[in-house]
Amino acid sequence: MSEQSTTERPVPEAPVLQVDGLVKHFPIHGGLLQRQTGAVKAVDGVSFSIARGETLGLVGESGCGKSTIGKTVLKLIEPTAGRIVLAGQDISALKPGAMWPHRRRIQTIFQDPYSSMNPRLPAGTIVGEPLENFGLSRGRETDDRVAKLFERVGLRPDAMRKYAHEFSGGQRQRLGIAKALSVNPDVIVADEPVSALDVSVQAQVLNLLIDLQEEFRLAYLFISHDLAVMRHISHRIAVMYLGRIVELTTKRTLFTQPLHPYTEALLSAATAPDPRRRQKRKHIVQGDVPSPANPPPGCHFHTRCPYAIADCKVIAPPLIEVAEGHHVACLRRPVGGDPGPLSVSS
Amino acid sequence: MSVASGNILEVRDLQTQFNTLDGVVRAVDGVSFDLARGETLGIVGESGCGKSVTALSILRLIPPETGRIAAGSIKFEGEELTTLGEEAMKRLRGHRISMIFQEPMTSLNPVLTVGTQIAENVVRHMGVPWRAARERACEMLDLVRIADARRRLDEYPHQLSGGMRQRVMIAMALSCDPQVLIADEPTTALDVTIQAQILQLMLELKEKTGTAIVLITHDLGVVAETTERVVVMYAGRKVEEAPVEALFAEPLHPYTRGLMRAIPRLDIEADAAGTRPRLQEIPGLVPRLTQPIPGCAFAPRCGFATERCAVESPPLVDVGAGHTVACWEVDRVRASAI
Repeated sequence: MSEQSTTERPVPEAPVLQVDGLVKHFPIHGGLLQRQTGAVKAVDGVSFSIARGETLGLVGESGCGKSTIGKTVLKLIEPTAGRIVLAGQDISALKPGAMWPHRRRIQTIFQDPYSSMNPRLPAGTIVGEPLENFGLSRGRETDDRVAKLFERVGLRPDAMRKYAHEFSGGQRQRLGIAKALSVNPDVIVADEPVSALDVSVQAQVLNLLIDLQEEFRLAYLFISHDLAVMRHISHRIAVMYLGRIVELTTKRTLFTQPLHPYTEALLSAATAPDPRRRQKRKHIVQGDVPSPANPPPGCHFHTRCPYAIADCKVIAPPLIEVAEGHHVACLRRPVGGDPGPLSVSS
Repeated sequence: MSVASGNILEVRDLQTQFNTLDGVVRAVDGVSFDLARGETLGIVGESGCGKSVTALSILRLIPPETGRIAAGSIKFEGEELTTLGEEAMKRLRGHRISMIFQEPMTSLNPVLTVGTQIAENVVRHMGVPWRAARERACEMLDLVRIADARRRLDEYPHQLSGGMRQRVMIAMALSCDPQVLIADEPTTALDVTIQAQILQLMLELKEKTGTAIVLITHDLGVVAETTERVVVMYAGRKVEEAPVEALFAEPLHPYTRGLMRAIPRLDIEADAAGTRPRLQEIPGLVPRLTQPIPGCAFAPRCGFATERCAVESPPLVDVGAGHTVACWEVDRVRASAI
């Protein structure tokens, strides 16, 4: 069996994408005059960085803000506050025109590539469009480059003449990857890129993404709800809950020594293809995720947390580095504290 | 007779076909299985393998304009369902056999309160007065652990979270004490913590009510943690069936093995350097079902395939302890490393 290194390698250079204190609030309008009556705090002060060749996984359940982060760093939506630095350039306040030259550097892969493809254009034209848009090539040269891209992502170049509906789900995702790759980006935001695929095809796409990362030293912001996929592809993982990062560390540490109670709950809830594990199922966290329009005060997770103490209801814990490279936002996990199991509060 | 054998449901050589512009699609192509009383049976496979169509066939919910059960038999408590009249079928559905679907929002009526929807089903099948049916609805919401059940009776589906809607669907499905519950991807649309809650709830209720469950899913993790026996389907056919422990300990069909190697796993540790094994791909694509497949449907993608596999369809062979597999090369598969 061939091996590949998704090892936890050190980060030797300046990050290619740095996000500081990112906030994105969506206003809620109501009442007769449609005044703003509140805000959905989709992203509420999030910071992280990604180096070249590194995959940062963003994991969390629906409504935690992970996709909003993806859209904001792509500048598809404007941040409410915070800084986004892409390859040394602060892009957070750039207007669309000024943003344009930087767009080439950060590309995206969607969950459903079909909905992002013009059904009336042949696949070759779709993949070649960014090349022409950014003035990187013209005419025959574009065709040659697209043919190479097709081969690189495992599609036959004669498929360039086919239309999106003629491809299977996995092949469409390959098209989406080819399109994102065409302009030599530094960063790719991949939002649930394999969630809609069957497992046999999912494996093909994950392997391709890892190969391409090593070949082109791509930085991935990989957004997924699937812990197993996340563990496979990520170097570091950020766990999100209701707009905040609650834990950020290397993949290995996250899975062997999770410190945040929510991370523990997620790991405990994940199913594994092993019937013998059935008995080992630990406690299942109860209740639903609260509405992001009206999150609980203090630590957002305290309403479902078996370890919550009185302070958790009033103090929002900051994300602090409690051990080297291990960031946790939990009052019960102080710097240098005992990483062992927490006692259940009465 | 099947009742004596302990099977509540017996499906034999089921063939369900759809007419499309491309020709006749053989969505289910000769599938047989039994469901014992109180048992949890998993049916697993990828999109288009026929697992959902099998479920819809049992409930006779195949739209007659496009599809039909072309052959085979479905016996529920010894009664043949494929030829049963529509009126009798209506009395069965939601009562003795009920079903829950992946997306509860599309199966709940948005303009009726959840209490009304559950009570309606109870009135229809149990013939009790409305007031008693409302009480039953309240009991059921309690049973599926919806807090403050009485108040929730008067809420509309859009006021509930995804997990709660699925709880309502389960409450409705179990409201008339069905003997069989068919659950088609019941947790696929839910977040993992909610999925864990719903799976736990389904298993607890099964213990309490004795309802047999057919759990249809693409997720091997869900199958491993909830079912007792598993049917693996590929391209409309059953390729393997085994008790859940045996299937995961020693999968014998090359397709089942391929699936298990293709999934990223949380329970496999990386080595000291943090390196994890590369995912094994299953090359190629699922075959089109518009053409009859003479041999094994998996042969074009199978590393064990021989000339025979392409022309002759392998029968299901019992390899012992309730483990059956349809593969000509099963001895070679068994001898190879998993």
